[in-house]
Amino acid sequence: MSTKDKRDTAIHRMDEMGSASRRAFLSQLGGGFGATALAALLQREAGAEGAAMRPGAGHHAAKARAVIQIFCPGGLSHVDTWDYKPELAKRQGTPFDTDGNVQFFASKPGNFQGSYWPFRQHGQSGKWMSDLFPNLSMHVDKMAFIHSMQSKSALHGPAMFMANSGFILPGFPSMGAWVTYGLGSENENLPAFVVLPDTRGLPPGGVINWGAGFLPAVHQGTILETDAIRPPIADLFPAGVMDAQTGEREKAGRAFMQSLNRAHAAPRSANTELEARIAAYELAARLQLSAPEVADLRNESAHIKSRYQLDDADTGPFGRQCLLARRLVERGVRFVQIYCGAENTTAKKIRPNWDSHEDLVRDHGYWGAVLDRGASALLADLDARGLLESTLVICTTEFGRQPASQGGKGRDHNPGAFTAWMAGGGVRGGVSYGSTDAFGFKAEKNPAHSYELHATALHLLGLDHEKLSFYHNGIQRRLTDVHGRVLHSLLA
Amino acid sequence: MRFVSALAFLAYTVTASSALPAGNAADFEGQVRPLLKEHCWECHDSKKQKGGLRLDSLKAMVAGGENGPAIEVGNAARSHLIERVSSQNEDERMPPKGRALSEAEIRLLQAWIDSGAAWPAEATAAQPVGDPRSSHWSVQPIKQDWPDGTSIDTFIGRALSGAGLNWSPEADRRTIIRRLSFDLLGLPPEPERVDAFLNDSRADAYARLVDEFLSSPRYGERWARHWLDIAHYADTHGFERDQLRPNAWRYRDYVIKAFNEDKPYNTFLRQQIAGDVFEPGNPEAQIATGFLAAGPWDFVGHVETKSEQLRRAARAGDLDDMVTQVMTAATAITINCARCHDHKLDPISQEEYYRLCAVFAGVKRGERDIDPAATKRIEELRKRIEGELKSVRGEAAALSGEPLDLADMVGGGDGRGTGVRGRGIHPRTGNLVTDKIGFHPDIMTNRLQKPASQSGPQNVLPLVQAVFVPDGSKPLPVASKREVQGVPTTSGNAWDAVRNGPLNGQVSTKINEINYAVAPHSILGLHANAGVTFDLQQIRESSGLRVFQLRLVVGFGASQAAANTRADFSVYVDTDQVFQRLKLKKSDFAEVEVTIPEKASTLTFIATDGGDGIGSDLLFLGDARLHPAEAKQSLADADKQRLRELQRRMSALQTERNQLPVVERVYSVTSDPLPPPMHVYHRGNAEDPRQQVTPGTVAWAGKAGTDFGSEQTEEGERRRRLAEWITGDKNPLTARVMVNRLWHHHFGQGLVRTPSDFGLGGDVPSHPELVDWLAESLRKEGWSLKSVHRLILNSRAYKQGSDSRERGVAVDAQNRFCWRQNPRRLDAESIHDAVLFASGKLNLAMGGPGYRDFKYTEAYAPIYEYTTPSTPELWRRSIYRFVVRTTPHRFMTTLDCPDPANLTPVRAQTTTALQALTLINNPFMLEQSGHLAARVEEGAASAEEAVQRAFRLCLARSASESEVAAAVALSRAHGMRELCRMLFNTNEFSYVD
Repeated sequence: MSTKDKRDTAIHRMDEMGSASRRAFLSQLGGGFGATALAALLQREAGAEGAAMRPGAGHHAAKARAVIQIFCPGGLSHVDTWDYKPELAKRQGTPFDTDGNVQFFASKPGNFQGSYWPFRQHGQSGKWMSDLFPNLSMHVDKMAFIHSMQSKSALHGPAMFMANSGFILPGFPSMGAWVTYGLGSENENLPAFVVLPDTRGLPPGGVINWGAGFLPAVHQGTILETDAIRPPIADLFPAGVMDAQTGEREKAGRAFMQSLNRAHAAPRSANTELEARIAAYELAARLQLSAPEVADLRNESAHIKSRYQLDDADTGPFGRQCLLARRLVERGVRFVQIYCGAENTTAKKIRPNWDSHEDLVRDHGYWGAVLDRGASALLADLDARGLLESTLVICTTEFGRQPASQGGKGRDHNPGAFTAWMAGGGVRGGVSYGSTDAFGFKAEKNPAHSYELHATALHLLGLDHEKLSFYHNGIQRRLTDVHGRVLHSLLA
Repeated sequence: MRFVSALAFLAYTVTASSALPAGNAADFEGQVRPLLKEHCWECHDSKKQKGGLRLDSLKAMVAGGENGPAIEVGNAARSHLIERVSSQNEDERMPPKGRALSEAEIRLLQAWIDSGAAWPAEATAAQPVGDPRSSHWSVQPIKQDWPDGTSIDTFIGRALSGAGLNWSPEADRRTIIRRLSFDLLGLPPEPERVDAFLNDSRADAYARLVDEFLSSPRYGERWARHWLDIAHYADTHGFERDQLRPNAWRYRDYVIKAFNEDKPYNTFLRQQIAGDVFEPGNPEAQIATGFLAAGPWDFVGHVETKSEQLRRAARAGDLDDMVTQVMTAATAITINCARCHDHKLDPISQEEYYRLCAVFAGVKRGERDIDPAATKRIEELRKRIEGELKSVRGEAAALSGEPLDLADMVGGGDGRGTGVRGRGIHPRTGNLVTDKIGFHPDIMTNRLQKPASQSGPQNVLPLVQAVFVPDGSKPLPVASKREVQGVPTTSGNAWDAVRNGPLNGQVSTKINEINYAVAPHSILGLHANAGVTFDLQQIRESSGLRVFQLRLVVGFGASQAAANTRADFSVYVDTDQVFQRLKLKKSDFAEVEVTIPEKASTLTFIATDGGDGIGSDLLFLGDARLHPAEAKQSLADADKQRLRELQRRMSALQTERNQLPVVERVYSVTSDPLPPPMHVYHRGNAEDPRQQVTPGTVAWAGKAGTDFGSEQTEEGERRRRLAEWITGDKNPLTARVMVNRLWHHHFGQGLVRTPSDFGLGGDVPSHPELVDWLAESLRKEGWSLKSVHRLILNSRAYKQGSDSRERGVAVDAQNRFCWRQNPRRLDAESIHDAVLFASGKLNLAMGGPGYRDFKYTEAYAPIYEYTTPSTPELWRRSIYRFVVRTTPHRFMTTLDCPDPANLTPVRAQTTTALQALTLINNPFMLEQSGHLAARVEEGAASAEEAVQRAFRLCLARSASESEVAAAVALSRAHGMRELCRMLFNTNEFSYVD
């Protein structure tokens, strides 16, 4: 019996059972099991029992079916990149805080410091962007900026958690987890939520940045190794074996196990978890084929490889992450998160991420080139393949940097203002939302938080951020806590 | 644990009910009123009327303010209120500060106005009399009078027959023993124990088994896991700088021991909340308070940041974590929902939340001595030993004439060879350096630099006061307010460090044919320009000697080629120059012998460059030593005898000192006797404190007093009162909550399926009377948890089979009536432990620091890299795993082990392809499969016998004939390891019927 037949049998059998256990079965598999069939079944259930949210069903028609989120950990300086503040240059070198009352995260403010890179206008929209991004600036008419982003914390860990989960504490589901909880996957042979960390290491806060929190663990992000040496997913194969186990041993072993499982399940037919677990081993076998395939870039054209600069020692690793993200989305993965920068690493030459306290030109100069090349290649590639209109690309960071200097060459953390941008997936290009004061010190017009960004992204995916909820210890929890507005002016 | 999906179901239905159309009175109470209160009343109520407008009654709304009526009843579109809250104009939009209303909130207001703006009369009162929420089941007194002979089965049986359902037949003995073993011990039963139970014909065979398992130490290890889940225990801080908590484990061991000893549950809670207050002399009670500190803590927010605002925010989060953990674990009150506003469902005010914060306002997480009296004893003992050691050493040194070596002191020693050879003191930073250092062109001259360590405490070299680079341009301060004259003028440059040994680049170590680099000689390297000052007072303190004779020889360590270079050497005792030799050259050396009087406090050596730059100025001191001035030249027999006695005594004292017990510490809390004042934080914002609050608790839960004193009440007293309130007779929640937790773990779902939420948003009990009967039993039995286990485990309800039955599924698919036992899947810990059990590698060592199956790298954010556990110390039960917060254990997490950032009363359960990959391919599983194969094959007469052993170890049953045949075939073709690997992956291994 083929896997599909078996699944159909399983689903058929469920139809004969009570709705509660059928729902139990389906909700467990929501993350990676025959999403189309699932969605149909679930909608039927939803129709029968009211408008309550169920995994696998959206709330309204979606513009985007997938998300690629580029996260720049450490604190990307908006005043040197996306947020043009000519006033800073005019006040260059004069004291920022004349009263001496302001205390940044790690320092007292120094003097006003203008952007380290000149700004120019680009595209039809005439959007200002700094010379740090010569390639990305060619895409401004695809991008929608939120200039009034704020965070509730000036600390990397909590601010990372806020950007990812809407809460400054650990233990809450990340956006990717919420999205897969809400929508499931389109490809049962790959995880629905894939994370591509920087090759130098993990970002501040570590793997719980893509954790499922209190949602079932099936919704947590799965790391896809981005170097070519290790198997793409941990434990994909027995240690030391790189290729799928098509050998006699593997086949015979699994046949024995599954025969025991079927004999065990036969008198326990009402326990659908047993069928689900049998199916999980079949899925695992398919993953052993599909994961190496997605990570294998040999068949990408020379043009693509050079567009992503895969061979460049500095920009290549991030280029590879971006290219992998495109391949994943192409194959139906729902949510891909790419990290442009690390933290838990001992690299010394430059800062391992955007956290430029002591030498902004050195560190933003390095990471800016990395982001510029990879992200612009990704936008161009998605566009060329017609994937951009259904793929929402988000670029964000956990907070911005101060308009005043720290120690002469750096900038301290600024949770009062930063910029995020989106492109594709139903976003209107060349527009901006909100603004900061004359210095980029604080969001002034229409302040926004992760709540607005998340609410808008969920909206584009067909999800209502106020309805996407999960009961946990007394509260119907949401990605947007009790906040959040959809930023309609950014929608196409 | 299929109930998890049931829980999810509950969540969906709750969502559905909250989406009811607004407009009736119930919605006013639950939705509209809280909305108005949160967003409007701050400026528009009886106290304050911006724009002359009040919004706290329907009459006032219609009457309006300066801009006319706020609403037109029945017509939201013409209501000014709606216009203002939905305005896109920032200057017009209400509320002016804070977030704008969401679209849903605006829709709610519109619906309310359109449907007639019903404002129930009694709802205007702040806390309506006769609030229906106060009759909620969980806060009623526990029913105490039950007919004789009442049992669990009375309640279950009654409900079953009421629903037209029947009991399931009792499960067979093999199923029962496996279920019981996993439930109570978290491990499979020994095959021999299974056989013995199957063959035990005594009437009470099962009850005996229950007692036997309850008295096994494995029981505490299993049940501690459940408690640590709701304490969100881990062994690191969490957050960005996820540092180790090396002493957290003592609390984990306390919990294991408490379960094993059947510590009364009320005592268990009291000790964890305020053990240090109830029993200050009892080490165990200090350890118990590790409960309060078990959750995450942000080092950067509390310590590292310079921003006070960030510190306040971190502290508010810290208090929230503590209050929430205590209240949800003990009473299942979701107190955290009242942090930013009054609780939306339960009658709990925001002020009550902050009164609970005030209980913990003086509590901070940190290390504490588990036995302060013992610490004091140890410190007193140490002081006595060291005092005597000093006087013995002094007398011995005076008798023997053994000198103190100054180079050794530069190396960090006491002058008797305990220093680090070759180590030096950096002239710029004072740091201790082992590397060779070169030219220093730019050191600030004449500035004293105290020896320092990059990481450790300040006073790293107590006998060396300072190093410096002299330039001779002005009087030089060798100590504070003490300047010396007559230092030759120098270039101000320097080379290398002041060293206990030869300098960087030193060629010769000989002076006058004696090689000072060879023991028993010593070298103090002092390249020009440099100086070093010794602290004579400290040297007297540490050595027990009073008057010294300084002797040394100074020479050049340069090559012959440097014959013409010149350098100077000066010695000062306090500010007196006692020796100076200028323009010393390569072929010269000088001997110094100076008596140092008892009152002198510093001794300073200065090397200067002789006016020709520092090139080749490799000055070094041979045998720079302080000789006891009192020493006799030759010893009489009596003196020799005495010296031997002293040396024996010295070594005895040293042994005694080395054997002093270590001060035992636990990661728990430190207490500030008078806590800072606590305020209500408006909307939960620590930057917006409002009225001050006194310590207290929630009035809703029970009839006990809720005041815990005033602002002046001492910290410990506040916690003591909270602990009394929680465990007192008038609190009905505590006992109910705990018996439900026990039920939950024995049936896979609680009688209340939200074990940490007994509020209006939580589940309704399936058998409310049974909850009360069990709670009352717990109290009557002196809060013995084991007595409740016995009641549950000996019930007919528990012993039922888990087979599904058509009628049961049709009537009650979720099995809330308990018409059968629930089949359950093992959690991550049980799978891990069961694998080790089967392979024969399980290491049952109890207690102590957790096993670390990771490589730890110290860094700003420490790095944890997991390794394959291949050695016995890593094969302990998973309760002893060193739990890292930021880097969850992938194997365990994949199998649904929860994030220790969360309080986890109910574990989620998923079935995923990644789990299949982990169990089939993870190196731990492969290695243990190999161990199991070796175990079953050893001494087995046949492949059949080995297969049977493997089945019995993994599945607690024998294999059928056809299974044996298939298994033997598999093992013959691909090895026994392959068979074992597959047995670990069967459903039957991971499921309990």
